[in-house]
Amino acid sequence: MFRKLSEDRIKVRISFEGEEFFVDTDQSVASALLAEGHQVFRSSVINNQPRGAFCMMGVCFDCLLEINGRPNQQACMVPVKENMVIKRQISSGNNPS
Amino acid sequence: MTLPAFDYVILGAGPAGMAAALTAREHGVKVLVLDEQSQPGGQIYRNIETLKTTRPQEFQKLGQEYQSASQLVENFRQCGVEHWFERSIWQISKDLSIYHVNPEGEHDSSVPSLVQAKHLLIAVGAMERPMPLPGWTLPGVMACTAADVLYKTSGLVPEGKVVLAGSGPLMLLIACRMLDAGVRISAILDTGNKTSTLESLPLLPKALRTPSYLFKGASMIWKLRKAGIKMVSGVQTVEALGTQKLEQVRFRKGSMTETLGADLLLLHHGVVPNVQITRLLGCEHQWYEQQRYWEPKVDEWGNTSVKGVSIAGDCGRVAGSKVAELSGHLAAFDMLYQMKVITQKDRDQKSKHLFEQRNSHLAVRPFLDKLFQPSKNWLVPQDDSTLVCRCEEVTVRQIRDAVKKGALSPDRVKSLIRCGMGPCQGRVCGLNVTEIIADESGLPPETLGYFKIRPPLRPITLGLLAQLH
Amino acid sequence: MKREEAEVAVVGGGVIGASLAYGIVNRNPSVLLIDKENMELTASRGNFGLVWVQGKGFGMPHYADWSIEATEHWPEFASRLEEESGISLDYEKTGGLEICLGAQEFEERKNFLGQMQEQSKDGTNPCEMLSRSDLQSKLPDIVLGDEVSGASYCPHDGFVNPLALLKALHWGFQQKNGKYRHGHSVLNIQKNGCGFCIETDSCLFQVNKVVIASGLGTTKLSKMVSMHVPVRPERGQVLVTERTKRVFPFATGRLRQNADGSFMLGASNEDVGYNLETSPEVLSSIASHAIRIFPVLNNLQLIRSWASLRVLTPDQKPVYVESEECPGAFAVTSHSGVTLASLHSNHLPDWILDGKKPLDFDVFHSRRFDVP
Ligand SMILES: Cc1cc2nc3c(=O)[nH]c(=O)nc-3n(C[C@H](O)[C@H](O)[C@H](O)COP(=O)(O)OP(=O)(O)OC[C@H]3O[C@@H](n4cnc5c(N)ncnc54)[C@H](O)[C@@H]3O)c2cc1C
Ligand SMILES: Cc1cc2nc3c(=O)[nH]c(=O)nc-3n(C[C@H](O)[C@H](O)[C@H](O)COP(=O)(O)OP(=O)(O)OC[C@H]3O[C@@H](n4cnc5c(N)ncnc54)[C@H](O)[C@@H]3O)c2cc1C
Ligand code: FES
Repeated sequence: MFRKLSEDRIKVRISFEGEEFFVDTDQSVASALLAEGHQVFRSSVINNQPRGAFCMMGVCFDCLLEINGRPNQQACMVPVKENMVIKRQISSGNNPS
Repeated sequence: MTLPAFDYVILGAGPAGMAAALTAREHGVKVLVLDEQSQPGGQIYRNIETLKTTRPQEFQKLGQEYQSASQLVENFRQCGVEHWFERSIWQISKDLSIYHVNPEGEHDSSVPSLVQAKHLLIAVGAMERPMPLPGWTLPGVMACTAADVLYKTSGLVPEGKVVLAGSGPLMLLIACRMLDAGVRISAILDTGNKTSTLESLPLLPKALRTPSYLFKGASMIWKLRKAGIKMVSGVQTVEALGTQKLEQVRFRKGSMTETLGADLLLLHHGVVPNVQITRLLGCEHQWYEQQRYWEPKVDEWGNTSVKGVSIAGDCGRVAGSKVAELSGHLAAFDMLYQMKVITQKDRDQKSKHLFEQRNSHLAVRPFLDKLFQPSKNWLVPQDDSTLVCRCEEVTVRQIRDAVKKGALSPDRVKSLIRCGMGPCQGRVCGLNVTEIIADESGLPPETLGYFKIRPPLRPITLGLLAQLH
Repeated sequence: MKREEAEVAVVGGGVIGASLAYGIVNRNPSVLLIDKENMELTASRGNFGLVWVQGKGFGMPHYADWSIEATEHWPEFASRLEEESGISLDYEKTGGLEICLGAQEFEERKNFLGQMQEQSKDGTNPCEMLSRSDLQSKLPDIVLGDEVSGASYCPHDGFVNPLALLKALHWGFQQKNGKYRHGHSVLNIQKNGCGFCIETDSCLFQVNKVVIASGLGTTKLSKMVSMHVPVRPERGQVLVTERTKRVFPFATGRLRQNADGSFMLGASNEDVGYNLETSPEVLSSIASHAIRIFPVLNNLQLIRSWASLRVLTPDQKPVYVESEECPGAFAVTSHSGVTLASLHSNHLPDWILDGKKPLDFDVFHSRRFDVP
């Protein structure tokens, strides 16, 4: 649903659901995933419905992902960094057992 | 423990915050600016520094305004202000101690996690007015400005079948920008209503004092039409359809219903002030009927009802970047006067021409605000099964039922059905909840109040909180 | 000035006033519930939702029994209220734990409960002490922190959604044609020939009986009908986390998991007068205590926090009193208004309407605070 206008920046390696990508730095995790064609970030807490980034400016909290083992990360606000391991967040990301 | 203290702490490095910082620094005051983004610019000039150096051709396309903004950002960088980026505020106490975290929700050693302000300027801007409609939580449905953010920060543009729905100048602006970037837009569904067009006409003469805004609006529409984009006006309902993600958009106009294939649906219903922080601080707010939102009550300098706290820019009444910038300067001049850095005479002298300029920019606003007044159809979703609170997945019907049981304020509804109790803290559903209660009860929205905003402003882990101990 | 008449008026629409009004309306439909209903977080809206016996009534055995009786009434009370209001209360009689950190806390708890046992009429004690390993075996889904030394356990304890409780009482009351008059701040109560005249800024209510259950406003209103009922505020701060899988099926005094999966932590005890602000330092110490009990809470997100004021009598025990000079005027106030809601609604209407008092009821008279 999105395409890149140009590919000219430094890349970092990230993984999403086990798949590796090399993505531009200087962007948020959400925009990196959207650029790679991934729209479904999590499933909702109550009805378990698919959700993805909505506002891209930190307001809606619909872009929550698990990043490097930490749940509830706001993908549109967190900048991508080398070797980030990113996973979908299923329901409430925390499972305290 | 003595906290790091600043004379003037500014939240937000958009046009308003930057302008205030410049004026304050010119008078030698110690200033700290905090912003969630990674660089100055705010919403309109998001990512401007990186854009200029890494994608100069895009930067050029954004036009004259951006070129001059780039100067503003440069001056800001050089004015000797302390600025901490990627900082998200989660609590401000009455004594103006400010608690913040990085985007990962952590403290890090780069800056102190708690600072104290003598005077606080809130310049956190606006957010898009949410427009709940059936299916709007599907991946593939986004806020219109989200596309703009992706464009400015990552050079991403929509691809495939792109539909825009809503109304307002910003939607037109963003559509034009997409057009310039080579995006093919399948359709623009205009949800604006005819009554407000008629009602706005008497306000036109005053608006003509600043014809540039009107001219800009007209030329955008002309541009989109010329590009042959399907533009449907008077659209009454829009639904997003799909299972795992968006597949189709269905809309109705009068008796006509049409379904379009869609990969991306961008919604826009104007922007509304971001009042979380002014609410948290207990500033008085008032209902702005023309645009049906809450705004902090302020004097002409932006002082709120809480001593030592003022606002500037679109987190008050939304009026665009030029007004935001001028208001930033004005708020700073008054702060300087309050801190006895300058005299009242000084303040008034230096502000005179700023007020004049601001008034001339504001002349068009009553007309625009009426013309693009959100209509009830959209504020109160007609389909009762529409989710209003995206976090807690609460529908229009549930809210109506709560109202029937006597929950006559957003807080009462929230305490009954958790609407607004999720991680976004009611930012998204707040105004719609007010409108639905008003609709169901017949009471005017301004009598219903708003969610009581309590800390944390954004979720933080218990572990982080425990570290303060 | 509007005028309205009724048999009984209850002044105060918090959980205590609403429990009474809901109970009374079952017997006599002519009841007014008058509340000033501001947006403040009263105790009834900001409390922890425990239906709790453990440790209550030290120094007043009758109060301990009264609390146990209340929890015995709760299941039936809750299901009837749910049915009549159509509002789910999320009441669960889970049993309650008081979890101890370190050997000393464990010993102190044990001694305290021993003293409670000694003072009780029949020498019994509803609580037992659990060792750390007993406790862990009751909690298969969540790991205890290293410092946890054990807990006391009481089978009567449980919890309810306090906001749902309050709403259900109001709604249940209105379903039975009780008249809820909100937005009315009572300014004056006056004895007159035919009962009492209650004055608000826009209305005069004429009633035969008046029950003052006005939380922190009780002292002032009681004085108007010659009763001395001292109460003072005590601030409590409460935290709520995001929802998560249900792993902790018990109530504790300072931590519990709601039916929706969110954890609730609290509540501080602060003598700060009428101050409803939260303070990050206190929130922090509550969070840190919870993490010491269950380290995995460390990663859970705090969504919301608030402060609310307890309504405390000098000995923190209930006051039920009828005015001697102005018979027909009553005052009811108590900490633990949630726990006692079942009894307030089931037993007190007989006292208010017919003068029929439960056994040993006079221990709750406010004359115990009169300076001799
Ligand atoms: C998403 C969006 C895009 C827009 N794009 C355009 C556009 O392209 N052209 C146009 O003319 N107008 C645009 N507008 C309208 C815009 O509001 C004004 O043009 C202008 O940016 C307002 O300036 P400001 O300084 O008041 O606020 P903003 O420019 O919005 O600046 C506010 C700043 O505060 C920061 N902030 C917000 N909350 C916090 C917090 N809790 N803690 C720390 N920092 C915080 C934000 O990151 C931001 O940098 C847009 C509005 C939105 C909401
Ligand atoms: C943090 C905290 C945690 C708690 N936890 C528990 C718990 O777990 N379990 C438990 O059982 N109890 C608990 N409590 C105690 C319990 O909440 C209170 O006992 C109970 O809510 C008191 O109810 P109330 O109706 O007397 O008072 P309030 O809730 O204060 O209500 C009084 C009402 O009277 C109204 N009023 C006052 N003056 C006037 C006037 N002049 N005219 C009209 N109306 C008036 C007020 O507006 C208010 O609505 C807790 C309390 C706090 C603060
Ligand atoms: S997309 Fe809305 S908060 Fe990230």
